[in-house]
Amino acid sequence: MPASFLIAGKDLRQRLRDRSAVVIGLVAPLVIAALMSFAFKGADTFHYTLGLVDADNGPVASGLKSILHDSSLSQLITVRELGSREAAASAVRANRVQAALVIPRGFSESVTGQRPLPLSTLTSINNQPAAGITTAIASSFVAQLNANRLSIATALDAGATTAQLADLQAVVAGLHIPEQLVQRPVGSQPLKVISYYGPAMAIFFLFFTISYTARSFFVDRSTGMIERMGAAPIRPVEILLGKVLSAFVFGLASLGVIALVTTLAFGANWGDPLAAGVVCLAMVIAVVCLTALVIGLARTQRQADGIAAAVVFGLALLGGNFVFLSAVPDVMKRIALFTPNGWALRAFTDLSTTGGGLRTVVTPVLAILAFSLIVAILAALLARRAVKP
Amino acid sequence: MAHEPAAARSDPLLRCNSLVKWFGDRVAVDDVSFGLARGEIYGLLGPNGAGKTTTIKMVCGLLQPDSGSIMLDGRSTKEDLAARSLVGYVPQDVALYPDLTASENLSFLGRLYRLSGGLLEERIKEALELTDLTERRHDRVDSYSGGMKRRLNIAAGLLHHPKLLVLDEPTVGVDPQSRHAILERVRSFGIGGVSVLYTTHYMEEAERVCDRVGIIDHGRLIAEGTRRELVAHLGERDRIDLAATGDLQRVAAECRAIQGVVEAAVADDSVHLIADDGRHVLPAVLEAANRTGASVNSVEVKEADLEAVFLHLTGTALRE
Repeated sequence: MPASFLIAGKDLRQRLRDRSAVVIGLVAPLVIAALMSFAFKGADTFHYTLGLVDADNGPVASGLKSILHDSSLSQLITVRELGSREAAASAVRANRVQAALVIPRGFSESVTGQRPLPLSTLTSINNQPAAGITTAIASSFVAQLNANRLSIATALDAGATTAQLADLQAVVAGLHIPEQLVQRPVGSQPLKVISYYGPAMAIFFLFFTISYTARSFFVDRSTGMIERMGAAPIRPVEILLGKVLSAFVFGLASLGVIALVTTLAFGANWGDPLAAGVVCLAMVIAVVCLTALVIGLARTQRQADGIAAAVVFGLALLGGNFVFLSAVPDVMKRIALFTPNGWALRAFTDLSTTGGGLRTVVTPVLAILAFSLIVAILAALLARRAVKP
Repeated sequence: MAHEPAAARSDPLLRCNSLVKWFGDRVAVDDVSFGLARGEIYGLLGPNGAGKTTTIKMVCGLLQPDSGSIMLDGRSTKEDLAARSLVGYVPQDVALYPDLTASENLSFLGRLYRLSGGLLEERIKEALELTDLTERRHDRVDSYSGGMKRRLNIAAGLLHHPKLLVLDEPTVGVDPQSRHAILERVRSFGIGGVSVLYTTHYMEEAERVCDRVGIIDHGRLIAEGTRRELVAHLGERDRIDLAATGDLQRVAAECRAIQGVVEAAVADDSVHLIADDGRHVLPAVLEAANRTGASVNSVEVKEADLEAVFLHLTGTALRE
């Protein structure tokens, strides 16, 4: 068996006996991903109850009510009819409904007159999303009404008779404001929080492999184990290879287990398994190369700890492991493209939202491997110094 | 008393020729040459920083000499990686994994030397028996006493049946009982046909276990030979150890002026002297100490030994 395999096997045995390594490699990422998923659960499936006061009971109010009860809004709102404006205000204050819409008496009739009555919304400062959506629905309905009124007024000005008013109203009722261009995510499926934070936390804690492995190397050096191994008939570079190989196996196993558990237990969507596996593999390769670089750069265990901490938190912050990359400024998005984890998270997001396969991750994987290659070259230049007794 | 080497020196197992090693602008090993016969125990004796460890690291392939050559059983350790299998290296510090058991440590290290299967098991058993650790083989090393760790450290160097065992100050920090046990083991290795290269700064150890001794100081091998050959350098001279408190450097300086005193140096709260006739110059030495105001605690006149040889050759005491 190659010496590097022997060293890796021994390191893995020690690592599995070390409870802190198991906690950092498996337990912590699962717990944090689950906590984040729980904390942001509302963002995935927003739904609220809208109080509706219909003091009008006219045809226009019926039109508005039919829109609110339409199946396209049923996943977003549940409509609860209330008797009066005061009852609605009370319900909003008590959070029995999260917002309310009041159709005033005579609303339908006023629509055809010169001074239409306004719709009222009752909202709570404690539920801004519900307030915004309710206002948007009301504004959209009023905009449609105004467009209809304008159409009828234009027709009357052009010579239509009041006898034709009913026919004109029927025609404009079937018309809608033209479609508008709206900004939407590229993916065809919404991104669930756990589908982002599952991989994000798995990668973040994968980075701790760097400090663990580097520390193990320097402990071995200070205790004379590197020297003892160096006296055996093996090449010095095999010692370093063995160390990083153990990081590779542990990292891959850690990512695999976390992917499996977050998928089965929390419903995370890592995307196509083969494509996700390739991204994980590329990411572990990057971590292995970073480990070798830290070992090459540091001269003592303390230095290794410091450099590894800078690498771990620097990459995690810049790469988007703590915040949705889609929510950060453009400059941060561009910086994330210089980090392997930034590319990996982009790949997992694409896989989760588009349902794509290997083709989807070609660019991210190549970017991660390019990063790894650069780091590996630097590490190779420093490796000889590292394994020197 | 040391035994004679199993083979003649004309057929050395190890031959070091003109080794030189620089660290920056400091020369650590300066033109060191020596040979080691099969079954011979060779001691490199010198104070800390003399170049002993650097020399044996070059022998083990851990450092490359800047010039000179090392031939081990006719093979170059620089060019022939497999030649390292001929060497069993026992570092000065205990180099073992504390969170692994003795068996696991030995198994890992044995595999690095291409041992496997039944042979590996057999060798582990043998090494543990040799170091009296069989009953603790399944215990983690961090539960061992200091002496047990030292013994296991040596066992790890014996697993692959090396032709040359290199021991770097194996008794540093060891209690007297364990030290005795280790020295007995080292003697038995030599008798068993294993050549031993042994570094120490303890003169008593070198005298007790080594067939030949090389005295090294400031990177240079200044003398080598059997104990008898080295002591013969001093002729009939004696060694005087004066344990005292006070300005010992001044005592040494006063003593150097006494006729018959050849060398004087200070180490370990004592003044060490080499004198032509120890008993004859002793009154003058005590008088010199008295003149400086030093308080003499004890004085001892001995036959010359390796410590006296070192003092004679270098002008400094071995443990200075």
